[in-house]
Amino acid sequence: MKQFQYIRPSTQQSVIAALSQPGTKIIAGGSNLVDLMKHGVMTPDKLVDINKLPLRTITPIKNGLHIGALALNSQVAEDKQVMEKFPLLSQALNAGASAQLRNMATVGGNMMQRTRCPYFYDIALPCNKRNPGSGCGALEGFNRMHAIFGMSDKCIAVHPSDMAVAMTALDATVIIAGKKGERRLPFGEFHRLPGDTPQLDNNLAKDELIVAVEIPTNNYAAHSYYLKVRDRASYAFALVSVAAALDIDNGTIRSARLAMGGVAHKPWRLTAAEKALVGKPATAASFEQAAQLAMQGAKAFKDNAFKLKLAPATIVEALTHAAGLV
Amino acid sequence: MKQQELLNIPPFTEGIDRVDGKLKVTGAAKYAAEHNLPNMAWAVLVPSTITKGTIKTIDTKAAERAPGVLKVITYQNAPKLPGYDSGKDPSKPPTGGGPLRLFIDNTVKFNGHPIAMIIADSFERATYAAAQVKATYAEEPFQTDTSKKLDQAQMPKGPRFEDYKRGNPDDWKNAPVKVEEEYIIPINVHNPMELSAIVAHWTADDKVTVYDKTQGVKSTQNAIAQAFKLPPDNVQVIAKFVGGAFGNALRTWPHETAAVMAAQLIKRPVKLVLTRELQFNSVGYRPYTWQKISVGATADGKLTGLIHEAKGQTSTFEEFTEGTVNMSRFMYACPSVGTIYKIAPVDVNTPTWMRGPGEATGAFALESAIDELAYKLNLDPIELRVRNHADTDPETGKPFSTKYLKEAYELGADKIGWKNRPAKPGTLTEDGWLVGYGMGSGVFGAGRGRATVKATMLADGMLLVQTAVTDIGVGTGTAMTQVAADAFGIPSSRIKFEWGDSSLPPSPTQGGSMITSTVGGAVHDACTALKEKFQQLIGNGGTDKPDYIQVLKDKGLQQLDVTITSSGSSEMRNFSSYSYSVHFVQVKVHPKTGVIRVNKVVSVADSGHIVSPKTARSQVVGGAIGGIGQALMEEGVIDHRYGRYVNADLAGYHVPVHADIPQIDALFVNKPDYKVNPMGAKGMGEIALIGMSAAVANAVYNATGKRIRQLPITPDKVMMG
Amino acid sequence: MEELNNGALPDGQEQPAGNPRRNFLKQSTLLTAVALTPGVAVKAAENHVDEQVAAVFEKLPLNIEINGTKHNLLIEPRVTLLDLLREQLDLTGTKKGCDYGQCGACTVHVDGHRVNSCLTLAMMVDGKKVTTIEGLAKGDELHPMQEAFIKHDGFQCGYCTPGQIMSAVACVREGHANSEMEIREYMSGNICRCGAYPNIVNAILEVKAGGQQV
Repeated sequence: MKQFQYIRPSTQQSVIAALSQPGTKIIAGGSNLVDLMKHGVMTPDKLVDINKLPLRTITPIKNGLHIGALALNSQVAEDKQVMEKFPLLSQALNAGASAQLRNMATVGGNMMQRTRCPYFYDIALPCNKRNPGSGCGALEGFNRMHAIFGMSDKCIAVHPSDMAVAMTALDATVIIAGKKGERRLPFGEFHRLPGDTPQLDNNLAKDELIVAVEIPTNNYAAHSYYLKVRDRASYAFALVSVAAALDIDNGTIRSARLAMGGVAHKPWRLTAAEKALVGKPATAASFEQAAQLAMQGAKAFKDNAFKLKLAPATIVEALTHAAGLV
Repeated sequence: MKQQELLNIPPFTEGIDRVDGKLKVTGAAKYAAEHNLPNMAWAVLVPSTITKGTIKTIDTKAAERAPGVLKVITYQNAPKLPGYDSGKDPSKPPTGGGPLRLFIDNTVKFNGHPIAMIIADSFERATYAAAQVKATYAEEPFQTDTSKKLDQAQMPKGPRFEDYKRGNPDDWKNAPVKVEEEYIIPINVHNPMELSAIVAHWTADDKVTVYDKTQGVKSTQNAIAQAFKLPPDNVQVIAKFVGGAFGNALRTWPHETAAVMAAQLIKRPVKLVLTRELQFNSVGYRPYTWQKISVGATADGKLTGLIHEAKGQTSTFEEFTEGTVNMSRFMYACPSVGTIYKIAPVDVNTPTWMRGPGEATGAFALESAIDELAYKLNLDPIELRVRNHADTDPETGKPFSTKYLKEAYELGADKIGWKNRPAKPGTLTEDGWLVGYGMGSGVFGAGRGRATVKATMLADGMLLVQTAVTDIGVGTGTAMTQVAADAFGIPSSRIKFEWGDSSLPPSPTQGGSMITSTVGGAVHDACTALKEKFQQLIGNGGTDKPDYIQVLKDKGLQQLDVTITSSGSSEMRNFSSYSYSVHFVQVKVHPKTGVIRVNKVVSVADSGHIVSPKTARSQVVGGAIGGIGQALMEEGVIDHRYGRYVNADLAGYHVPVHADIPQIDALFVNKPDYKVNPMGAKGMGEIALIGMSAAVANAVYNATGKRIRQLPITPDKVMMG
Repeated sequence: MEELNNGALPDGQEQPAGNPRRNFLKQSTLLTAVALTPGVAVKAAENHVDEQVAAVFEKLPLNIEINGTKHNLLIEPRVTLLDLLREQLDLTGTKKGCDYGQCGACTVHVDGHRVNSCLTLAMMVDGKKVTTIEGLAKGDELHPMQEAFIKHDGFQCGYCTPGQIMSAVACVREGHANSEMEIREYMSGNICRCGAYPNIVNAILEVKAGGQQV
């Protein structure tokens, strides 16, 4: 690992000021950044440790819950308010990584984690995300774990987060601080599709800082489910994951929220399927129909054709669990 | 309810606790890399980023200028090792470890081939400097995909690998019921939790001590002695604790020699630890292997002919071979059997034996095919096996020294509830999951080699037992303590067993399920001899259990010792001796997502008398888990366009985690085989894994009706199968 | 030095023995001297004097309590907690199995919570309390989890064991040891290649059922 400067400011302003210097990166939990630095994928000149900032609390707000960017994944997963009001988020967090990593990883860091695409991680291989213009190693390579939605010919990597999938489904809002003050961004607009600029994972500017995520109050707590299909029972990235949330009134779906992980460069919101479920009975037939709608536009590569079958199956299964039909 | 479940802890078996348990649970056990010596430096290897070719230029300036760097070694400045000069014939490796030698020329033979070594005053600085070495290459065309070279596979040299024929193997074609299928296992990587590591320390100009991750301190001692042209006694190899190996420390690998070279060069102790990604291409792996089984049977399930063909991968510079097809020659009483074994060289580093070695690969094919045949015959797979039970060794015609395979079938079938297995696949469901049962058997040779053991009765009444053998985690130290206690007739608490040091009396390398028999036999013989020596000392009228402290005092002795070298009796040659295993599993398969959960496991071992029940049980459980990994998730993936691994870490290469593994029943027939050794014990390390992957695959078939013949059986294969 | 004042040095704490400023002054005096004679300066550079100065400058003070012992250290910020323990403090009970947060062998407790020390920069635990496997037993008296691991043979080679035990203790403390299934899930961040999983689960079940203080 390259030698770097390390500072630990105690105010938000000094963090943002420090970020204006090139080669500066924020470190919070470090569970992804330190890994990437060991691999030589990220080589910051300066690390800004933000753990002194008071961004660790989870507090109720008027129409929802405010979660500080430094709240730990384990802390959020086991927070009483989260478990009660947004069990989907709790489930998604607990489906990610390991107990140890969840004790290190923060909400902001989870959002900022980079893809686990092996071509991104190995600096000896081509990757447009790491080294723009070098080519996409995965496009015609080992792409079993890769995207079926929203990819470009520059990049077919997927975002690895489980938490972000639930946050997307829950219509969360990201609060971002910059030089000019704070701005709010719908969670679903935080991450980007690769397009021609796969080096950009998200819409956070270089001198901005995630300070919180807010989740609006909803009626999904009774009927939500996070289902993660993976190669082993725990401690593995998703082949496909689905966050499903239903508001069911007397057997009829009033509204639905659906997002998928492991299928795109960002958490993949299934808006068409959500709309199709409204007013439908909470039955297997409705779920099947929604799943088919969700798969429109999906495209597979050499090794991930199974996702075209696994994704709709996982949607149906997650909805079935959410509806309490299992 | 919860409380009830909590109290339902399965009983642990009898037997003594692991003798090194306290050291291991307190962190006091020191593994190779944990010997931090004064003035020590750190060495880091720089792997090639191409697969085949030559180094055109190598720029080490930045690395040399980096803080803390003491030396950068490449082929341009590496000292010529005296042992490297003498051998030009790669089939006769002067290092005793293998023909691959580092830093001797500019050729690159596989992706990850070390091209430089950095030595620096800290781990961080060495690692950073290693990343600063820049090389340009003249690349050459290469092939790392064994499946593309199967048609060029060749029979290995040496008589052991000639085609085997008994009767007319093609008879299977004329049988009324037959199976002809191909089976593939991918690259499996040992991936023990401990990274390969060595600390080398020259204590004099011609004397070196190494703390090394090795399964054989004596073989490493010889390899280093040869490479540096030293008398073996000038090389001391210490490996008291080895953090798992499963075969990847059977040989002396080039990084070990490199570290010794580095320490000699800078005249300081040097520590070298391979990264996790280098575990994939530096210390062996189980080779990709293609297999075909052709088998026929009469309508009532008697085998008429069987052909087992296998093609495995090797490197371009060395022949790697294993006993992939051997089991098919003697496992079943079949009049006509043929086996064909070939290897295909590709541009990778050489494979090595991995737990259960080739036999585990072979058993996946054979035991899957027998299962397939059972369904075609509409016979219970156990019944089919019993109908073809070999009462004598069909390969040699010799009687078996002991064989309780039928009992093992019964024990396991009873324990798993085999009677609940649906005869028709895909018909049993529970909570929306498909349920299936499968079984597979394993076999491995049970021999006894030569070992030397010193047994010393000390003045304080402790019996010191010493030999150079390593304990890679299997419990050798504990088992030998038990053997010594039994043979000498004192409690195990009065035995002190010392191992893992080349300066102790010689023992073989730990591997091939030979150690309990070989070293145990010698421990038994040494302790028995010492006991007799005491009896002679005491003379007539002595008791069977003398007060040894008093005897030594009376005779004015500080201690009394014997050193015994012993090996198997010649009687063994008249028998075939094997250990057997039978694995049973119940799996649940999700019909929509293809997710597989192993729900119940019963592994039965017929491996003679069980010397150390507690560690033996753990060894069988561990092997079963290794087999589950092989069956369901393990695969080393190379992007053949680059010849480079794309999953060379523990996030990409999956091994089972806690959540994958249920309680596992390990059962023992526990009947002694005194023809092999005086304890009646046979090995069980390999059979614990051999046959398990077939058992899982067979259970998946029973659950789903989908026959997956290419491991690992991941959810996508179940979905698309 | 602005950065140092901006938080890296905990306010009001004593400077550690290896005071970077004092060392730098010593070295810079030397540098000034040799700078006057280019030949000597070249020689000094060859002898890595400049690098030694730079190296001192690159180090930061770290105050950390490990197993009840306070350490005032001067370290490069790139040093991970795992490498600090193993390579600098000779606390080798904490293991390196992967170095990438993928195996759990490096699990330690920081302020009572289990973390992967391989992905923790040592600087980030400044002012915190670290417990490693060496700090679990009270002298000769083993921790109940250590006893249970021996009794249930919860290991073979022993290499993942310190991480398993540290994780197991945390698992019980966190309240995640209420059933076999829950233990398996919450212990899944600790890989055991020898395959001691069922024995480990049984050891944890027994400690949990025993209700001892862990």
